[in-house]
Amino acid sequence: MTSTRSMVVTLFIVALVCSVILSFVYSYTAPRIEETQKELTLAGLKEVIIAEVFTPVVPDTVWKAIDSTQNVVGIVFRVFPQGYGGPIPLMVGLDLEGKITGIRIASAAEGLKETPGLGVKIIEPDFREQFIGKTLDNVFLKRDGGEIDAITAATISSRAVCNGIKQAIEKFASYLCPPLDKRCVFPDAQDFIEAITDTLWYAFGESDTIGIVFIATTQGYADQIEFIVGVTMQGQITGVEILYSNETPGIGEVIRSKEFLDSFKEKIPDAITGATVSSKALINGVKEKVECYKDYLK
Amino acid sequence: MKKSQIFTRGLIKENVVLVLMIGLCPALAVSGTVRDAFGMGLAATFVLFFSNIIISIMRKAIPNEVRIPIFILIISTFVTIIDYFMQAFQPSLYRALGVFVPLIVVNCMILGRAEAYASKNSVINSAFDGLGVGLGFTLALTVMGAIREILGNGTFLGMAILGQGFKNAPVIFMILPPGAFLVIGVMKALINKYVKKETQ
Repeated sequence: MTSTRSMVVTLFIVALVCSVILSFVYSYTAPRIEETQKELTLAGLKEVIIAEVFTPVVPDTVWKAIDSTQNVVGIVFRVFPQGYGGPIPLMVGLDLEGKITGIRIASAAEGLKETPGLGVKIIEPDFREQFIGKTLDNVFLKRDGGEIDAITAATISSRAVCNGIKQAIEKFASYLCPPLDKRCVFPDAQDFIEAITDTLWYAFGESDTIGIVFIATTQGYADQIEFIVGVTMQGQITGVEILYSNETPGIGEVIRSKEFLDSFKEKIPDAITGATVSSKALINGVKEKVECYKDYLK
Repeated sequence: MKKSQIFTRGLIKENVVLVLMIGLCPALAVSGTVRDAFGMGLAATFVLFFSNIIISIMRKAIPNEVRIPIFILIISTFVTIIDYFMQAFQPSLYRALGVFVPLIVVNCMILGRAEAYASKNSVINSAFDGLGVGLGFTLALTVMGAIREILGNGTFLGMAILGQGFKNAPVIFMILPPGAFLVIGVMKALINKYVKKETQ
């Protein structure tokens, strides 16, 4: 009979050796795993929209798709609508007109929890390819008045995909028209001439300078907020758009709403109730920067 | 016992799922399609082969009273290492088999072979045992998967072998959990008849 001490010691040694080996293996493979994850994400992004480069707008959630000629061709977003067995990891590509360019659903090995043999059929091309070219108006199941055929005996999973896409388009529509060019915030300008590299441009009208456009950042609630502003020579704001923000979804992200951004054209608005930190950050950021660049308005 | 006997014994006569009735959880859960069943079977065979070898090598150093926690530590460490390496260097293989790895870590079949065989026998014999039992597991799962996929989905490895008409309206029941119980019950009954005849 083994003594208690030798039992404890052996078990302790085995556990110790196992943990040491595991921690070595982990630290050796972790960077590689992260890299392959990134490669997989990029491959997934390329499956839903044809583009060369993807720049994150909201980390791991929204990407801007840029083609080889440096033009923005659309956006891709990732959402997790509730399916039958769990959240469905879903990637959707949208072109600039709001048409779906493709969708990608993770396989069971990547975290899809729908019923094997039934719900998992949502990853098959027959189902997925129906979505190409659809818009917010017709991305429902046929029985719900849309144009998508549900999978037999997997209506819940099929409907979850439609709903996920619909909600995602509604939620992220404001990202679709981010300032693709500076005219977005200064519609009257004919041309722009750079005054400070990647930061400030003179806006030219018919014959002379009519204002400036600048890009600036301010500290929001969660992360930096990057924004672009157009100002006339008279100090009138012609437009404000958000280039990057990572505020709390459903709360701070309301600063992206069209109403709020448009209200800058009238006068500097008041903070939004419930999203005071984010909205104040943007308001003060705009105010400060307009003040700071007023010398260019002469 | 001869090496070949150790190996073939695990295939049918002492089939881990249908005769010994262990490892039923993955057998029921991952036999919806042939592809999944075969993948699960191969992954389990691989782990079973090496875990049997490791346990057999260490069998003299493991005190009898604490053998079970030590088996669990060794097997789960081994499987987790495989998991990390597969994720890092074989992402496509991981996409196909990764989903089965968590099922293997806690599998009673692997622990069962360590306890019942590898901890008492030589390394070579344990390796043969692991291989035989693993392939028997693969065989049982693949047959179950074939029956369930053909009847429940109208396909075999994704091909519509019973015609498009059947594929559009298959016996969906077979692919759902109750179908797994039905198939495993019928297979168990058949194998009982066969094994009994053999021993008489």
